[in-house]
Amino acid sequence: MTARRVEQQWNIPAIEFQGLCHSYDTDPVLRDIDLTIEHGEIFGFLGHNGAGKTTAINILTTLIKPTSGSAKVYGFDVVAERQSVTRCIGYLPSEVRMYGHLTAAENLEFFAKLSGVEEPRKAVAETLEYLDCADLANTRVGTFSTGMRQRIGIAQAIVHRPKVLFLDEPTSGLDPLGVRQLRATILRLNHDLGMTVFMNTHLLSEVARVCTSIGVLNHGELIYKDSIEETIRRFPDEASLEEIYVRMEGGV
Amino acid sequence: MIATIAMHQFLSLQRQRVLLVMFITMLTVTILAGVLGWSSHHTIVRVYDEAVKILASTGRPAPPNPFLLKPTLSLLSNMVVYIPLIGALLALILGHVSIADDDSIGIGRLVFSRQITRTNYVLGKIVTAAAVLVLLLVASMIVSVGSLVVVNRAITGGDFGRLALFYALSWFYLMVFALIGMIAVLVTRRRSNALLSAMGAWLVITFVYPQFTSGLRPTQSLNPITDPASTSQTFFRISSRLRPFSIVEQYKEASGHILQTAPAEAFAQTIQRVIPIAALALGLLLLTTLLVQRHDFSRSAQSE
Amino acid sequence: MALAHHEYRSALRSRILSILLGILVVVTAVSVYIASVDYASKLADYEAYRSAAQAQGLERIAPSPLATLSLLRGSFEYLEIIGAVIAITLGYLTISRERANRTLPLIRSRPVTSGELATGSYVGAVGVIATLVGVTAMVGVLGVGIVGHDWVSPAQVLRLVLAYFASIVYMSAFYSLGAIVTAKSRVASNGLMIALGIWLLVVLVLPQIGDTMDADNQIPGGLFKALTLDHNGEVEVLKHFTTYETIRTSTEEASLAKHYERFAFAMTDVKERYRPFGLSWLLAHTRNNMLWLIFYAVVLYAGMRRAFKQQPTIPEGGTQ
Repeated sequence: MTARRVEQQWNIPAIEFQGLCHSYDTDPVLRDIDLTIEHGEIFGFLGHNGAGKTTAINILTTLIKPTSGSAKVYGFDVVAERQSVTRCIGYLPSEVRMYGHLTAAENLEFFAKLSGVEEPRKAVAETLEYLDCADLANTRVGTFSTGMRQRIGIAQAIVHRPKVLFLDEPTSGLDPLGVRQLRATILRLNHDLGMTVFMNTHLLSEVARVCTSIGVLNHGELIYKDSIEETIRRFPDEASLEEIYVRMEGGV
Repeated sequence: MIATIAMHQFLSLQRQRVLLVMFITMLTVTILAGVLGWSSHHTIVRVYDEAVKILASTGRPAPPNPFLLKPTLSLLSNMVVYIPLIGALLALILGHVSIADDDSIGIGRLVFSRQITRTNYVLGKIVTAAAVLVLLLVASMIVSVGSLVVVNRAITGGDFGRLALFYALSWFYLMVFALIGMIAVLVTRRRSNALLSAMGAWLVITFVYPQFTSGLRPTQSLNPITDPASTSQTFFRISSRLRPFSIVEQYKEASGHILQTAPAEAFAQTIQRVIPIAALALGLLLLTTLLVQRHDFSRSAQSE
Repeated sequence: MALAHHEYRSALRSRILSILLGILVVVTAVSVYIASVDYASKLADYEAYRSAAQAQGLERIAPSPLATLSLLRGSFEYLEIIGAVIAITLGYLTISRERANRTLPLIRSRPVTSGELATGSYVGAVGVIATLVGVTAMVGVLGVGIVGHDWVSPAQVLRLVLAYFASIVYMSAFYSLGAIVTAKSRVASNGLMIALGIWLLVVLVLPQIGDTMDADNQIPGGLFKALTLDHNGEVEVLKHFTTYETIRTSTEEASLAKHYERFAFAMTDVKERYRPFGLSWLLAHTRNNMLWLIFYAVVLYAGMRRAFKQQPTIPEGGTQ
């Protein structure tokens, strides 16, 4: 990355979709999406099952290529500049599973090396300490509960200190305490490390508490995008974000 | 990155005891080949002598004993059957778990959202499979040398060289099946389908194709000594042209010449038999690197 | 019956199973074709000899040395090898299907016992196996008739039926094995691998050891034939090697596949020394082989029932 590009990075949107379309065979999943998320936002991506949220994340994390249009992470195109994109991002997929026969530390070291971290062992120790799960380091992941797997999943996503963190249904399978811990972690990462967070979720109560902005996807189309404050101001009659969301899905 | 993937894969195989099971299997099979080779030769020589006595008692002449002049390495002739039979299945499973384990837990989403290309990923897996097969075959060769020394009290430089050549050929042969194991995962959606597809390919290569080209029945493929099959002229005039591409037959014949359990032929001719095996291994390597580009690694943990 | 029908229908909709079935039918057709073409020319030679002998007024005409049913040897060998793999796959699918779809709690929360579930699945699987064997049999018999120009006679039909019945019993044992090992494995595909490892040992390795140790197999065409010794001569020689022969035959007889092969080959005149004898003699001589087959099938079926009973209804790690 050139010096000029480094200076400019905070002026560049963290995530940008321009006319993004994607189809599986002939079945359109994302239709002409234009979206900009600024650096430092905690963005909640909402939508019904099958709306295309996971597909959007798969494109941003360079796992699949869009059918047409473009997607960029800090100005780097996800197709043409894949290596640069993957340096900036961390990803926690839904139902994350890791190598059950390896310990947490061994799993994290492996992923740290793949991310080009120079001192993987040190980075792993620091990350586990940061997430208050240093005691799990030498335990085999195969014995973990869902909550513990989730914490190690977040650890692998941030071990290389990415600029953007992608979370796909991170609260799935977590008990209320686990959800609270996750919320605290997201807020800390955003506050302490300046991480932009892009989160797919159905848990609207958490979206209201954590996110700074939301977008709503309906059958592949982005039907709404704004900050949380603006959203609440725009829908004064709705008592909760859930009611706002239900109203949007039913037609604005 | 290739080294990272390779080292990680090696650690995974160790932890899951796949390596241990493969070593135990290979060494057991090699010891079995040695024991069988020695005991059956030892007994058959005595059987022949007994048969000659009976023939003599009825006044009938007996041909000279063909078993006295058997070459030293014929002790290991069963390895020529066990490599395509058991070795190939081990290689298949090695290739299968290399990619299927990652696929079935959805690890692709964590790996490929990082700065590693798919080519480097699969090359790392292939390097590990190749290295594991080298280790297995070296261990088997050490046991083979031990068997030869125990039975014959010595092993000549020439025999050692031939043995090394046999195992080098076996490595090429087994790499074909390791790659088939990987390819099956890359072209199917479910783990069980991948395993069964790879097994189907092994069955066709090992048993079915030789019947097309040489009329060998499946159980004939299990015997180191093959009884020539009676064949229909018309059918085999055409199908026998495909025989050079029957890698199991080429492997067995090349092995037979290397171990001197088959009539001698020019070394160049033996090398010619190896070419289709090497070419297939190379072709499958290229195919694997192509298929990994198209494989959908964005799926979450798979059902079986 | 509902469970049997469910098993039958699900199996036939499995793509991988269909591919394996297709491979089996094709290789059976090819192996019968290859044998039949050769046979047809030999049969033509014999008919020509017989016509010439009759034209010369000869009274003693040598009977045909050809054995029609032996043309199906390759077919039975493929059932032994590939048929067993198909049966294991069926057993694996029975268990993995319910696990993957998480339908076991839906079934077990109904008035269905684990024994009924096991038996229903078994009956359905035997239906699939019987269908497969039936198709293979048809392909074989038609191949022999059309290509070999020699149809199976009514006298031979019963022997063929018995041989194919043994195929069904043989494959049903492997079905039970596949189901047992898969049910007992935490990860179903590991169970499949273990079952295939057992298949390798029982179907290929043990018989191969027996064949390798067999003195007669040491030179192409047979050692005793090369020494011009008949079966009695062979027995006379081998009297001096009883320990060796005991080890060899015990190794072979530990293999279910060898019992199946011996019975099927006896019924189909594969071994020349059995050809002079009638069905009752053959049945008496191969009684042990059939009994072993049935024994394995029954024991493995009982094991399968037990495995179904012990199988956890809720998969591990499902609700943490």
